[in-house]
Amino acid sequence: MTIETLSQILLTGLTVGGMYALATIGLSLIWGSLGMLNMAHGVMLTVGGYSAYGAVAALGLAWPFGLLAALLMGALLGGLIYLGSVRWMVNTKDFETNIIIATFGIAIALEAVVLQIFGGQPFGQPLVLHGAFDAGVVSIPYQNVVIVLGSLALMAVVSLLMRHSRLGRAIRAVSQQKEAAGLMGVPVQQVFALVLMFSGMLAALSGVMLTSSTQLSPALGQDPMIKAFIMCVVAGLGHVGGAIAMAFGLATIEAATQYWLGARWGFPMLLTLVILVLVMRPAGLFGRAGIRRL
Amino acid sequence: MPEPAAATAGNGDAAEAGGLQVAGLVGGYSRHPVLHRIDLSLPPRRLVSLIGPNGHGKTTLLRTIAGQLKPQRGAIRLDGRDLTGQGPHRVAAAGIVHVPQGDLLFSGMSVHENLLMGAYLLRDRAALRARLDWVLGLLPKLAERRTQIADSLSGGERRMVGIARGLMAGGKVLMLDEPSLGLAPVIIDQIYDLIAVLKEAGHSILLVEESPERVQELADHVLLIDNGTVAWSGAGAELAQREELLSTYLGT
Repeated sequence: MTIETLSQILLTGLTVGGMYALATIGLSLIWGSLGMLNMAHGVMLTVGGYSAYGAVAALGLAWPFGLLAALLMGALLGGLIYLGSVRWMVNTKDFETNIIIATFGIAIALEAVVLQIFGGQPFGQPLVLHGAFDAGVVSIPYQNVVIVLGSLALMAVVSLLMRHSRLGRAIRAVSQQKEAAGLMGVPVQQVFALVLMFSGMLAALSGVMLTSSTQLSPALGQDPMIKAFIMCVVAGLGHVGGAIAMAFGLATIEAATQYWLGARWGFPMLLTLVILVLVMRPAGLFGRAGIRRL
Repeated sequence: MPEPAAATAGNGDAAEAGGLQVAGLVGGYSRHPVLHRIDLSLPPRRLVSLIGPNGHGKTTLLRTIAGQLKPQRGAIRLDGRDLTGQGPHRVAAAGIVHVPQGDLLFSGMSVHENLLMGAYLLRDRAALRARLDWVLGLLPKLAERRTQIADSLSGGERRMVGIARGLMAGGKVLMLDEPSLGLAPVIIDQIYDLIAVLKEAGHSILLVEESPERVQELADHVLLIDNGTVAWSGAGAELAQREELLSTYLGT
């Protein structure tokens, strides 16, 4: 194996890992703090990408407005998911399973709306950095650097917010003991709404960065969402940092598999690893089994 | 009824003039009312205790006052302000603190963070500092446990954290739901010593307890809750002389 091959694999792992990580952040945040699997997460990525496209390519605005449009639409979508499903279901029996179905329905409907407005043909994302720099053995596109740094920056923002802010502590309180959080004066419903809106914004930003190195199509969020789901499960539910580490690790393994065994073995290898991890550590690599006390 | 000496001066964390009034409360779970026209009055600086057999509405009454259950009829007022039908975070903000049965700690947080969550509505840093010092002064054992994760505490320590978290809210009314439940007698004594100190400091306390002998000396007033109604009410000291009540309702 040459140094070129190794660098190429590592570079692919890093870039693809960055994309997986971007897709994972919002999903992991909602899962960890609200205990709900948001099946509409994929379509949040899609809407983010299309919003930036709509603002820049269709309306002819400058690129910062593209990002702003994505953020606004992401927050709006999160708010709508709250108003349309979570608000009414959160205190009901079997919330965790029912919300999967509800958000899946919302995802299908929204994807149809995107298809209706923009059509099925793929577009290029106008928000993209062109060019590359030469790193000795390989050349690295600037866009890939943006993806990797962007995913790390968003992760840092989320974990700082969760660990050190008053709102972050309130979110963790709601996730650990909803009833007691309410008794301490935390407006639990508002926290749910805020987390959904915030994760919508994260997803939308991720969607813009993801589509800048791929393409816009109405179903673009589906594959990243499946990968994000895998990262969350392998890392342990709600462990944002662990999920991001998994994204880079598994993407590198996937890239290596694709190089040595062939492209079609990448995804099966991922799934095999997931099964192995779950057999040996059912709570995930970074998760710890919950202790229930009466 | 004898008036306890009112210590008004200088104790910011003790209850200011607080009066909880519950009138004709009907409530419980949808289609299954548990409470049938309950009247209750907790004047400022008093300790009122609810006793009675399990499963007859004591916890439901506290949960309804705290806004966790919506009442079907009746009214809940604090200092004349109507709180009927408000959500728990509004009731907490109005000054009613509910320390629920079974502690319900934030299990993944440290003792310190649990206490900070208790004072979630207090945004002033200096006041937060002062309140933390006051609570840790009352419960010095918790100071040694500050960095420990709540999940790893013993049952008695968990109860202490639960009560301390409630005190951190600095409310006008403190509701304690069976603080002795499931603890060793020596720990129960410590908890009741603390409740006596809080009462002495002028807090208004609504205390649910299953065994009447623990509250008959401490409580200014006792309500015997049976089948969702107030079966008897009177001074704590009176309770000891009414053996027929205790044998009828509590089988002691």
